[in-house]
Order: sequence, then structure tokens, then C-alpha cells
Amino acid sequence: MSEMESAPAAPAKIPGMDEKLLEARGQDAAPPREVLFDVDDLTVDYSGVPALKDVSLEIYKNYVTAFIGPSGCGKSTFIRCFNRMNDLIPTASVNGTILYHGIDLYGPEVDSVEVRKRIGMVFQKPNPFPKSIYDNVAFGPRVLGWKKELDERVERALRHAALWDEVKNRLKASAYSLSGGQQQRLCIARCLAVEPDVLLMDEPASALDPISTTAIEDLMHDLKREYTIVIVTHNMQQAARVADMTAFFSVEVDEEQDRRTGILVEYDDTPTIFTNPSDKRTEDYVTGRFG
Amino acid sequence: MSVARAHEGALGHGPRGAKVRGTLFYILLLVSVSVGFILLFTLVIDVVQKGVGYLDPIFFTEPTSTDPDKAGAGPAIRGTIYLMVLLLVMAVPIGVGTALYLEEYANRGRWYNRLLEVNIQNLAAVPSIVYGILGLAFLVRGIGLGRVLLAGALILTLLVLPTVIVASREAIRAVPDSIRQGAYALGATQWQVVRRQVLPAAIPGIATGSILALARAIGETAPLLLVGALTYVAVNPTLLGSFTALPVQIYQWIARPQDEFRLLAAAGIIVLLAILLTMNAFAIWLRNRYQRRW
Amino acid sequence: MRVTLQEELDQLEAALQEEGALVLRALRGCLNALSQSDVELADEVIAFDDEIDEAYLAIEEGIQSLLARQTPVAVDLRLVLAILHNNLHLERMADYCVTIAKLTKLVRDVPHDDTLLEGFEEMGQRAEEMVHVALDSFRDRNAARAESLVDLDELIDRANRRVVGHVLSLGGGADLREWGLRMIIVSRCLERIGDHAVDIGEQTAYLVSGEFREFTDASHGPGTTPRDLR
Repeated sequence: MSEMESAPAAPAKIPGMDEKLLEARGQDAAPPREVLFDVDDLTVDYSGVPALKDVSLEIYKNYVTAFIGPSGCGKSTFIRCFNRMNDLIPTASVNGTILYHGIDLYGPEVDSVEVRKRIGMVFQKPNPFPKSIYDNVAFGPRVLGWKKELDERVERALRHAALWDEVKNRLKASAYSLSGGQQQRLCIARCLAVEPDVLLMDEPASALDPISTTAIEDLMHDLKREYTIVIVTHNMQQAARVADMTAFFSVEVDEEQDRRTGILVEYDDTPTIFTNPSDKRTEDYVTGRFG
Repeated sequence: MSVARAHEGALGHGPRGAKVRGTLFYILLLVSVSVGFILLFTLVIDVVQKGVGYLDPIFFTEPTSTDPDKAGAGPAIRGTIYLMVLLLVMAVPIGVGTALYLEEYANRGRWYNRLLEVNIQNLAAVPSIVYGILGLAFLVRGIGLGRVLLAGALILTLLVLPTVIVASREAIRAVPDSIRQGAYALGATQWQVVRRQVLPAAIPGIATGSILALARAIGETAPLLLVGALTYVAVNPTLLGSFTALPVQIYQWIARPQDEFRLLAAAGIIVLLAILLTMNAFAIWLRNRYQRRW
Repeated sequence: MRVTLQEELDQLEAALQEEGALVLRALRGCLNALSQSDVELADEVIAFDDEIDEAYLAIEEGIQSLLARQTPVAVDLRLVLAILHNNLHLERMADYCVTIAKLTKLVRDVPHDDTLLEGFEEMGQRAEEMVHVALDSFRDRNAARAESLVDLDELIDRANRRVVGHVLSLGGGADLREWGLRMIIVSRCLERIGDHAVDIGEQTAYLVSGEFREFTDASHGPGTTPRDLR
């Protein structure tokens, strides 16, 4: 139409230009928000003393969600609610609801064993079983009764965890012969072998050296295409690097009763938390002026 | 400046008093070690000197007799071995099962579980002769089992059970909780966690503890006497028949007037020691072989 | 390693290059409008500036987000800072194009001098060339080529000085003189576009060497570093 369009020295107008500009905002185009977990008024007590209270938020499918906050703010307690690991602690009691695909995880008809088959967990210190690499990854499927195609399952899980190339020639070696970073990836492979929906990671890289940490972070970036990932980290730069959504927890101190209870302060997309948080407490924490 | 002066010459030797005390302490330690070692050494040498002459095929096959040249410890040795096997079959499963229950399944808050724990500690301290009286009253007379091998085995089981339980509990506790957590997190049931992770990892410790407990039981004399390990048994023991065991036989021989019987007793002691040493060595080998570094 | 960081850096740089392409289109548009006295085209150039402003804002926000989340260091940090500066330089260039377009509209009914207009076309081509060189040498991390911008800029500067002389020598009525005064501003805009291209070249040199150095300092001789002045 105009001479602007036919200008010889410049390229023709590129269709979809706006999309590219949006991408230039420096984010992976995050998938649209689909609620996977709906947490409502969650409170966790240990022997009657509340460790965490009144938490409400939504976790979105195929997002990486990070929980950050100072120590003692209940973020580990909170993440363990998602796969009912707190059931293993006799003094712990959980009140409130967590809806997963619309079903309350703490409902009477729900079996915690079934929950854990769909929602896997990786721990802070790598905890491979005292068995071979193969048997570690195969443990989950065997326990679930998936006896067929075990070799393929093990290989697939190890590939997903970016460990296959390093161990494919020594699957029978003891898991303890691996380095720390490799052991943690083995634990991730172990979880992936049971084909969960969700991966919970409780400070997965805090016991690892920086290179292994970067490897785990890159892995999270890949895994979130197929899984939903929730991570607890005391390293907020890590949350800034990997997470799409970040929840900041803090500690409420009750001087009279000498109690410290964890509360959710702010939950938003990561760029907002780290460039312009709404709550001053969040800003104090991320700028390092906390306490 | 004055600080430097305070330490002047400190790179040389310190005050003589501290060094002397250190040396004295070291000597004291050496003495303690030597005393035990020398005593043991002397005993063993003495026994071996006296008994080695009587270790011939007759000793291992023939029953005892009034004639020292014809006397042997055949039935006694067999009795000891049968007792060991029965102990293995009875004490270990019950002991391990109890340990598993207490460590993995029991809710510590409940009163009956706490009662159970306290009782186990107490049982380990009970003198063995009391077990003998118990066996006599309830097993031999009470249910009418009679003075048979099975009664002896049952009583020894009770004697050994607390040790097996404690050893098994230690082995089970040594399995790090992180392993259990990892297994639960994969969707395993409690039974699967116990059977596939905890038990396999604890077996070396359980085995070592059990063997050591058994070794202790082999040397027990008092309960066996009360339950009827007869002093004169000419036939090989059977489950529901009369029996004898090596410690009992040794005891009986020493009580005889003739000197030769003392030498026979020494021979018996050598065999007993040999069995004990073998068992202990096996336990240590097992422990070293399967020692885990978590 | 650091897949996310690398992807984001690539995206920011791509966005910058696209902004550069937009600026080149604006420049060609305003030059054509000027030489043909095309008021409609001038209006289009002015409206087009909104797109460039959007691109500018998007890059600004992208940089803010990336710095907050990825804490880049070393060459990554220099790249981000270079993109930050170049973003501004490109946006300023676009503003000068708008100024030229507005001036074109202002003088539509006024007589003009063809010689001067031809001269502007030449200056404009030089400016376009400089923008191309600046963007390409940044993309290729070619510091030597970036330094060549100084010589190209010298040509524009000389042409700019000649314009003043030419305008003063214009005879004619008050109209023509008015046109002449406006054209001095146009010349100034083109010269400033050239300067911004040189600035982009300096960012390239900074990115490659880690040291910031002005290619020429207005108050001192060529090749003086701020360090030399300490």
C-alpha cells in the first residue's frame, strides 16, 4: 500500500512480529495457566503447635513453581503435604484441603500410596538405594507390578534424567560409585520411572557443586514440558533462574507463646517477585535486607 | 610485643610434668591390655597342653564311659550342634520379627509397646539359671515335655532372644531413614519398604548379631543342667529324647576323681573353644564383608 | 549449560536486530518523503514510530527481567549492557527520523533547492550504510569493522558543515531562506543519526574487549580513552 512497505533497503514486514516482540520480554512463552493443585487454608501442626498456617494458592500444570523463604518458614513442611509424606510423621496433622484434579488429597477415600505414585519426590541429600544403578531405577516399576519392558523403562527414565550416556555401560555398578550430582540425577530418574504427573523437589541442588547444580537446573527446564515441578529452595537466585511462579514464605513470631509459624506472604510470577514485588517483606528478602 | 615474649622458647619442649604424666598414662594402658591378654593366653596354653593328647577319633564319636581311655564326647558334640541348629531356626525368626515390629510398626506412644521394650531390656539381664528353673517348672514338668532336647532348645531360645532382638534392632536402626523416605516417596507400601529395602540392608547386621548371640548360648551350662542334660548319655540325642551338651559333659568330667578325666575335660574345652572361635570369626568376617558406608 | 539464559540472550539480541530493521525502514521512508515532498509518506513514518517505541519498551522490560532473574556476569553482562545502550541509540535514531518527517510536512508548500536535496539523499545513504555496518558488526562481534564507522561518520560530518555554507549562499526570498533554516535541522538530524551509529560501534568494541573507549572524543584527539584522562 504505502511506500513504507515497498522500501527496497529494508526487509518486508514480517508477519507475527508482535509475537516475537513478546518473546523478547525474556520469558519462555509460558503455557496458559491450568490449575493442577488448589490449596485452600492449609495448616500443619506438629503436636498441636502450628508450623505453617492459612496457606492458599494454586499450582499450575507444566510450570516450575518455587517456594522460597528463610529457614523455619515451613516450606519443606508445605511441599511434603503434596505427596502426603507428612503422614509418616506421627505428630504431624494437616488441616485444610489440597485439590488435585479436583479431588481432595486428604479426603477419606484417598490412599496415600496411590498419591505418591503420581506425585514423586526428590530429596535434598541424594538417597540412592544400596543397590545397583539398574535396580535403583527399576525399584519403582517393580513395586508397582510393572514387570514387563523393565529394561526399556529404565533406559527411558535415565535418558529423561540426562544420565543415560554416563551410565549405560555400567548399569550393574553400585549406585554409590556415582558422583553427588549423578546420584541426584539417579534419584530423579528413579522418580521418573513410575511416570508421575508431578515432581516435588526439596532443595534438590543444595548438596551439590555449582556445575551439578546448573545441570539439574537445565534438566528442570527440559522436564517441565512433560511434568509439573514444584521446588523448595533456600537459594533465591536459583528460584529466579528456574521458576515460572514463586511463592515467598516468611515466619510469624508470637512472642508471648514463643512460637514461630510459617505463613505465605506473596505468590506471583517470578519476574514480578524479583523486579517489583507487592509486599515489602518480599522485597526485603529478595534484596537480602531481611532480618 | 609482650605477647611474643610470652611464647618465647615455646617451640622447644613443654613443662616436664605434663610429659611424664602422658607417658605414665600410656604405660597404664599397656598394662591393662597385657593383663587380659596374658591371662587368656596362659589359660589357653594350659588347656591345649593338657587336652591335645586326647583329641582322637574316639573322642569325637564315642560316648562317655567310666574308663577314661574309652571315653568320648560324641553325643555331647552332637547335642551341642543340634541345639545350635534349633536355636537358629527358632530364635532368629522370632527375634528379627520382634525387632521389625518394634522398629517399623509399633507406635511408641502406646503403653503396651513401651512395656514390651522395657521387658526386653530386663530379660537380657536375667541370670541364666533362672531360665533353667523356668524351663524345669513350665516345660519339663508343667506341660510335661520331659527332659528332652526340645526343652533345652526352647530355654536357650528364651535366653538368647533378647540379644538377638537388640542386635537386630541396631541393624534395622542403622538403615538410614532417607532410604525409607525414598522408597515411600515412590509409592511403596510399608510392607514393600520393609521387605525390599530395610530388611535386605539390615541382614548383615542381623546375621552378625545372631551368630554372636548363638556363640554365647553354646557355652551355657546351668539352664541345660536343670532342664535335664543328663550326665550319662550313651545314645545320640534326638528331638524328643534325652540329650547332653558339651559344656555339661565337661562339667561332669571335671567332677570325676580320676586325673585322666580332667585331661578329657581339657580336650572338651578345646573343642568348645574351637567352635566358639570359628563362629566369632565368621561373624566378624560377615560384618567386614558387608559393612556399608552410607 | 544455562539453557534459559542463553535462549533469553539470543531472544534479546534478535529483538534488537529487528528494532534495527525497523529503524532502517523509518530512515528510508523519511528520506524518500523528504526528496519527494511526500506528506502522506511523512505521516506514515510518524505513525510507524509507535512500533519502534513498542520494540524499545519490550527490550527494556526484557533486560530488567533478565538482570533480576539470571544475574549474568562477564561477557553475558556486557552483552546485556550493550543491548541496553544500543536500544536507546536506535530509539533516538527513530526519533530523528520522525523529526525529519515532521520538517518535511512543515515545508511542503515552500520552494526548495534540488542540489541540497540531492546532497541530503547522499547523506541519507551514508547514514543508512552506517546503521547497517553498526548492526552487522554488533551481530558479528567485529570490533575492527565497528571502528570503521568513525571514517564514515567523518564524511557525514563534513557534508553537514557544507550544508550550512550552502544555505547561507542561497539567494531567493524569505521562503527559500526559511526552507534553508529548516534544512539545517534536517542535516543536523542526519549527522546525529550517524553519531548514534558510531555509539553502537563503541558498544561492540566494549563487548569484545571489556573496556569502554570512545572512538573519538569531541574535546580531545581521536583514540583517547577516559583512562588516559585520569
